[in-house]
Amino acid sequence: MAEVKIAAEIAASVWQIQARPGDTLAEGDTVLLLESMKMEIPVTAPRAGRLAAILVAEGEAVEEGQTVALLEA
Amino acid sequence: MPDTHTPPASNWQPELDELRRREAMAREMGGADKVRRQHEGGRLTVRERVDRLADPGSFHEIGAIAGRAEYEPDGTLRQLVPSNCVFGRAEIDGRPVVVVGDDFTVRGGSADATIREKPLMAERMANEYRLPIIRVIEGSGGGGSVKTIETTGRANLPGGVGGTGLFHYTTLNLSAVPVVGLGLGSVAGLGAARLAASHYSVMTKSAAMFVAGPPVVKRLGQDLTKQELGGWEIQTRSGAVDHAVETEEEAFDCARRFLSYLPSSVHGLPPDTACQDDPGRREEKLFSIVPRDKRRVYQMRQIIEAVVDQGSFFEQGKMFGRSLITGFARFGGRAVALMASDPYFYGGSWTAETCQKVVRFLDMAETFRLPVVYLVDCPGFMIGLEAERAATIRHGVRAMAAMNQTTVPWCSIIIRNAFGVAGAAHTPAGRLSLRYAWLSARWGSLPLEGGIEAAYRAEIEAAPDPAAKLAEIEHRLGLLRSPFRTAETFWVEEIIDPRETRRLLCEFTQLAGPLRAAQPGRFQMRP
Repeated sequence: MAEVKIAAEIAASVWQIQARPGDTLAEGDTVLLLESMKMEIPVTAPRAGRLAAILVAEGEAVEEGQTVALLEA
Repeated sequence: MPDTHTPPASNWQPELDELRRREAMAREMGGADKVRRQHEGGRLTVRERVDRLADPGSFHEIGAIAGRAEYEPDGTLRQLVPSNCVFGRAEIDGRPVVVVGDDFTVRGGSADATIREKPLMAERMANEYRLPIIRVIEGSGGGGSVKTIETTGRANLPGGVGGTGLFHYTTLNLSAVPVVGLGLGSVAGLGAARLAASHYSVMTKSAAMFVAGPPVVKRLGQDLTKQELGGWEIQTRSGAVDHAVETEEEAFDCARRFLSYLPSSVHGLPPDTACQDDPGRREEKLFSIVPRDKRRVYQMRQIIEAVVDQGSFFEQGKMFGRSLITGFARFGGRAVALMASDPYFYGGSWTAETCQKVVRFLDMAETFRLPVVYLVDCPGFMIGLEAERAATIRHGVRAMAAMNQTTVPWCSIIIRNAFGVAGAAHTPAGRLSLRYAWLSARWGSLPLEGGIEAAYRAEIEAAPDPAAKLAEIEHRLGLLRSPFRTAETFWVEEIIDPRETRRLLCEFTQLAGPLRAAQPGRFQMRP
C-alpha cells in the first residue's frame, strides 16, 4: 500500500471538498473542486484507492504543485 | 573481345585490413568496461541508439575512424580511441536524415573532447542537403574543459576564433530543417543548449538536463541530485524539454512520429498520408460535451480526438503552458499544427508561459508550412498579481504578433469563450481565415462577471440594494450575449452544429493544400 500525493495542478482557491477521508475512490473520481478564473476545476484521484487525508480547507488558496490530499493506493 | 586485364602482382589488401582494424577499434567505443557501465546504468550505447532509431541497416557512418591514435615505436597502430561524436546519414520511415550522437563512453560525451568538425559537419550536412537532423545527446559542453585546459595548455574561449560554427548551425538549422533533440543521460552545457535548440525535444525519465550539474551548483549552496536539479519533472514543466518517456525506445518512437508530420526541410511540404477515416464522420458526443453551466469544465482532448483523423493527434509540450494544448494532427490525411485551449488549467486563460508556448509553436508551423487549426476556449489573459509580475501582457502581445506574422492557412473553431485581447488572438489579424463558432460559444471585450461592477459602478452604488441591482444588470446584459445577435450583424461568420466540425476541418485542409507553397528563407525561427 503506497501513499500517493494528490496535487493541485494550478494556483487557485479551494472551492468545494467533495470526498471525505476514508472514502474509496476510483481513478478519476473528484476529490475536490478548485476555483480559478471563475471556473470549477476538479482535482481527481490519479488512481484507485482510499482517501487518507484532505490537507486543505474550503476557501484556502493553494499553489501550483501543492499537495492537497493523500491517497492510499 | 578477350579480357586483356592482367591481375597485379599485389593489391591493396594490407590497407584494407588496416581500415577494417581501425573500424573495429572504433566500434569498441570507450572500451568494454565503459560500455558495460553504460549498460548497467540502463542506457544504450550511441551505436545501439543510432541502430534502433534509424530504419534497419540504413545508417551510413561518416568519420568512423576519426579519433586519438597511439602507435608502436615501429609506427604500427597500437590503439585507436574514437571521437565521441558518431554521425552519418540514415533513413527514418524511408526518408533520409542526419543522425549525430554523443558517445558517453569516451570522456563522458564531452564536446570539448570530441573532434569538433564532426558535429559541425553533421549540422552542415543537414542544412545543405536539406535533411532533418536528430541530435542524440548524452554529454556536456564545458564539463570536459577542466581537463582540456591541461591537455591543450590553454583555456578555450567559447565562440572564439574558428569556434563559432557549431553555435551557428545549432540555431540556424531551426529555420532550415526539422531538428529533434533526444536527451538520454546527463546533459549539460553545450549538450543542454543543443537539446533545447530544437523543434522537438524528448528526455528519458532517468536523464537529467542542466546548464551546470550538481557539483557546480553545490558551490552556490544548492545540494541537489541530478534529478532534483534537472530531471524530467523540472524540465518538462519549465518548457526546456517537450516530453519525457520511460525508455529510449519510446524516445526514438517519438522522434519518428514527430518527423512524420513535417517536410524534410523548408524547401518541401509536409507529407500527406492516405486517410481511412471518413471526413464526414459526425461524433454525437460533441453535441453535449460542453456543459451548459459555464463554470464547469470539459475535456478538450476528447474533442480533439473526436475530430482529427483517428489516432493522428501527437501532442507536444504537454506539461508546459498547460492552458493551451499544442500538437500535430491530420485531417483527411493532411498534417496541421493544432492548438486547443484546456479549461482545466486556469479556465483556458493564457499565462505568460502559455504565450511563450504559442510563439514557439506558431513559429514552427510557419517555418514548415503547416496550416493551423485552433480550437478556442480562452476567457482572456491570466489576471492577478502573479500574472502581472510575470509580464503576461508583454508575452501576450508577443504571442499575438507571432500569430499575426503567420502566413499559413488558418482555421479557428470557437468552442466556448473568446474574451478580451487574448480572445481576439484567436485568428491572425489582417488577413482572411476561416472561422466557425459552436452553439456554446460566448464572447465579449470583458466577461460580464466583474466587468459589470467596473462599468456600472455608479449605478450599482446608487441603488438601494446594490446586490439586486448587480443581478438585474447581469440578467439584462446576459440576454444580449447570445452569439446569434453577433451573427445578425455578421461580426461572426458562421455558427455551426459541433457535429459538423470534422467535416469542415477536413474541407479546410483540402482548401489549404494548394496554399502551402514552400517559402525557404522567409522566416527565421528562434528556439
